[in-house]
Amino acid sequence: MKADQVLIEHHDVLRGLLKKLGATTDEQGATRRKLLDELVRELGVHVRIEDELFYPAVQEVTPLLAISQAEHRAIDDQLAVVLRTDTAGPDFLVELEMLKETLDHHAGEEERVMFPQSHALGEEALEELGIKMKARQEHLRHSTVTQLLRAAKREVLRHA
Amino acid sequence: MISQLTERAARLVERQQWLNKPGYKLEHGLAFAFGLAGARARPLQNLLQGVWLGHPLHPVLTDLPLGAWTAALVLDGVDVVAPRPQGFRQAAQVAVGLGVVGAAGAAVTGLADWQHTHDDARRLGMAHGALNTAALALYGLSWLDRHRGRHGRARLAGTVGYGLTMASSQLGGRLVFRHRVGVDHADSRLDPRTFVPVLAESELNEDSPTLVECAGVPVVLVRHEGRISALGGDCPHLGAPMGESWLYKGELVCPWHGSRFDLQSGAAMTGPATAPLTCFQSRVRHGQIEIRRTPPAEVTTRGRTLIAAETTR
Repeated sequence: MKADQVLIEHHDVLRGLLKKLGATTDEQGATRRKLLDELVRELGVHVRIEDELFYPAVQEVTPLLAISQAEHRAIDDQLAVVLRTDTAGPDFLVELEMLKETLDHHAGEEERVMFPQSHALGEEALEELGIKMKARQEHLRHSTVTQLLRAAKREVLRHA
Repeated sequence: MISQLTERAARLVERQQWLNKPGYKLEHGLAFAFGLAGARARPLQNLLQGVWLGHPLHPVLTDLPLGAWTAALVLDGVDVVAPRPQGFRQAAQVAVGLGVVGAAGAAVTGLADWQHTHDDARRLGMAHGALNTAALALYGLSWLDRHRGRHGRARLAGTVGYGLTMASSQLGGRLVFRHRVGVDHADSRLDPRTFVPVLAESELNEDSPTLVECAGVPVVLVRHEGRISALGGDCPHLGAPMGESWLYKGELVCPWHGSRFDLQSGAAMTGPATAPLTCFQSRVRHGQIEIRRTPPAEVTTRGRTLIAAETTR
């Protein structure tokens, strides 16, 4: 699978999780927390495969890298806000909607502008990069150290 | 020529791509550190970025160490040339200490601004910060030495520190004057000067910011709680396209760094932006939304306020 396809597929996973979260009610605190943990994991994996593999590979063919990284920061900051918002309170869906807007803007911009620009690398290079990113994705999802660090950071932010 | 020399030195720093990785780590470290402040993270950053002041707080604080350390240098110099009674040494120590406190404040506010810079400015900002941190450390040592009565070494540390901070100030100036960090990036044109129709009123949906162009000026139209606002299309922070913005709790959000703006006055409510969004007056005539640039005479201290009566239907 080509690198941009790997990322589009993963954007859909993230959008799906946000949609599921958006459909929950204030009574479903446990479901919300479970979905949020999943979202923290997938977002963490996504940002890392982009920042560590995809962005360095495309830096010569797109001017958007600094902006995309700024948007990753905005997503991270808003994720921290969602994590510390009471899952049973009236603010939860408001903060979640803000996260959704931030992510939608970022993913949409990449899909509309940056990914087409990345095609300048050529099919073969994108295919090779895609394989690397897939493998890294799997590794980051299941590595014990990464999981522990992620959970620790998540809980610290949740109780901040 | 000095200008060529400084240009070459600065370009050399800006080209150091290897700084990207430590810069990335530093920014993420800062993000986590601010995250630890929980709900106070945003107000804290607003304070450091100078949102309450209407321009960055950092340059206000940098005057403190520069002034105090210059005074210390003069006091030390006079004392070396023609030794004076105790008073000069004590005064120099107070000045060094005051500078250290000011420099610490400048460091924190500088980091809060730096975290949202890009590319060349980001790398240059790292060099600026590193040089000033070294100067701060030297002046810290200088203060301790003065405290212990070791005035010779204290003066040497201070003089080297002064050189570093001068070099660093040059980079700081370049960040503002060349890279335009911290200056207002909003459109300063005054067009359109008379009301011009820009969009059919029926095409503007509630809570859905819509970009129009008028006399070459990008304008974002927003209908929120039935009220129509017209604001500039360039974020004052770094010129992000506000046509891609969205609403959050009745404020317009910048798509790049998340600055939030008041719909009525255009004022920055959260940083990193500190200047207001450009404002336009709007009215509805014959089913068309018409706008004109708010005349400068009606500019208030907190931005370019709309005339409420004309924006409310």
